[in-house]
Amino acid sequence: MTTATASRGMERIDPLPVTGKRIATGSALYNEVLEFIYDEAALLDEQKFDAWAQILAEDISYTAPLRITRQGADRLNTIVRTTLHFDDDYSSLMGRLQRLGTKSAWAEDPPSRTRRLVTNLRVWETAKPDELEAHSYLLLSRSRYEQSQLQIMSCVRYDLLRRSGPGAFKLARREIILDQSVLGMANLAVFL
Amino acid sequence: MLDESKPTLSDGTRIEDLINTQTREVAMRLLSDHEVYRLEMDRIFAKTWLLLGHETEIPNSGDFVVRDMGEDQVIVSRDRKGDVHVLLNVCPHRGMRVCMAEVGNAPMHRCVYHGWAFRPDGSFIGAPIEREQMHGDVFAKEQLGLKKARVQLYGGLVFATWNIDGPSLEEFLGDSKFYFDLLFCRTDGGLEVLGPPQKFIVPANWKAAAEQSASDGFHTLTLHRSLMETGQYGRATADDIYANAPAMYGVDISCHQGHSLRCIPAEVTFTMFMTMDELKKLSPEQRLEVLPPPGITKEMLPELKRHMSPDGLKLMAKAPPQVGGMFPNVLVLFIYAPRTDGKYSGALALHTYVPRGPDHVEFTNWIFAEKSASPEMKRDMMANAVRQAGTSGTIEQDDSDTWPHMSRNARGAIGRTQTMKYGALLGEKKPADWPGGGYVYDGFTKDDTQWNWWLYYRELMTAKA
Repeated sequence: MTTATASRGMERIDPLPVTGKRIATGSALYNEVLEFIYDEAALLDEQKFDAWAQILAEDISYTAPLRITRQGADRLNTIVRTTLHFDDDYSSLMGRLQRLGTKSAWAEDPPSRTRRLVTNLRVWETAKPDELEAHSYLLLSRSRYEQSQLQIMSCVRYDLLRRSGPGAFKLARREIILDQSVLGMANLAVFL
Repeated sequence: MLDESKPTLSDGTRIEDLINTQTREVAMRLLSDHEVYRLEMDRIFAKTWLLLGHETEIPNSGDFVVRDMGEDQVIVSRDRKGDVHVLLNVCPHRGMRVCMAEVGNAPMHRCVYHGWAFRPDGSFIGAPIEREQMHGDVFAKEQLGLKKARVQLYGGLVFATWNIDGPSLEEFLGDSKFYFDLLFCRTDGGLEVLGPPQKFIVPANWKAAAEQSASDGFHTLTLHRSLMETGQYGRATADDIYANAPAMYGVDISCHQGHSLRCIPAEVTFTMFMTMDELKKLSPEQRLEVLPPPGITKEMLPELKRHMSPDGLKLMAKAPPQVGGMFPNVLVLFIYAPRTDGKYSGALALHTYVPRGPDHVEFTNWIFAEKSASPEMKRDMMANAVRQAGTSGTIEQDDSDTWPHMSRNARGAIGRTQTMKYGALLGEKKPADWPGGGYVYDGFTKDDTQWNWWLYYRELMTAKA
């Protein structure tokens, strides 16, 4: 990757560097993370936004980079972190939730019917004993109005989970790597 | 058969009758008709100037991005001399797409099919196996370059048109150029893009988005009512939003070519500024210091003074253009965008609504800052813009959920015979000592600017071919 390319924010497809020890699939800790991830998906699908807000850390970074089609030597530099589809912190996420609670958040009223299918969970230790790196694939299906064709969004999520109590985590970072360079959804009025 | 010399559809309907200038009605059919769409590609997207990006996207020799002029895909590239070219992305050999990437840097573009190669200025280099002369003996090499559009840069924005001998960009912008200058040409370094544009598909006809971009202010009160309910806009309880009418009073401007902008004082819209009663007592000079225009800081004011007339500066102090559009498919969003923490650094965005067939539009969203802004300010402006506009923006997600319904309605046998109504005109009224030209509407924002958009659309669609 040339310096010019890097300075313009186009980066390799590789996941965020993971240095810690892998948490074995099926281990007690892995299952704890899996339950957290499943429960979170259910909260969003059931539109329990107050409960979802409770699992967000106050220093959360919630972002979705652009993806871009490139060719040749730079073909794997497809992640753009200069422009984002989501560029949120705790206060702006609270602002989004506040809006969803108003009488006039039309983009989600009537609400979409969504299904968050989460798979391919991989978990690692991090340098901090109370934090885990959790990567999961997400296929979001979204049905609006009478449309019989589901809107689909596929992505990988690079989450940082922070232990907040026995059997409990907070989401301290989520980076959503989408697979489309031109999104097939008319908006991201839903969380990923 | 569609008779293209006279703008009449195959069922005998004349295009000009679909826009009734007596009653100011626009037939819904225009939002779904396939013949109309084909005519639009020829008469609008192959004729007018179109926004394709910003030169800061391609700073170096060989840099390119791939963009669209209607349904025609083009390569926007910079050559070794630094000039920007716009080239049809169609290989003259067999019609294959030449450039397969969306962005990159290449000293030449070689078609992957048979290997014909082209320079960043579009000129033909040759076909493989030179001794066999595989480009043939019918056309000289000079005749086999990529088809080139006419290009003009304005404030770093890249515009292009296929109308090689038509009006200049300046003529096309007409009386609105004075106002666009205040947004695009106001600092020493000019604007820069903060990254590649967001892109997403909305299942709607492009004009559902474009007619709104022609300064539809009125929809804000209802469609964007959540902005008032969350306390960002207005100074009202949820029950008296209509009485309070934030963002409605200002000066709308437009011109014959359908471009328009809404010049709105900050305190007419945003709750945070509405409560700053001292704003009203300030001179324009003082006001600039206290409340610089969106995207500008106090430190940049000397630059503004160098680039604007005193009259222009006064307008930027009192009521800067904040939203509007450029015919046919550009939305301008240069808003104060205050945040809940009481700070504001503005959000500067331009959108293009690129047609993708009669029933789809590709929403392209570029986010800008002044080059001279600090890295922190640029970071903040990116976040502001992303949170309010584009893909996940809490303002525009309501727009992109609305347009598809209009398009769907326009497909019904009865729905397509219904009309959109532009009955509420304010009429031209220029405030005393108003610095700019064009059509000026002082007061409550009404249908005037959008109606002007449709009149220009009608003019292009019915012009003698």
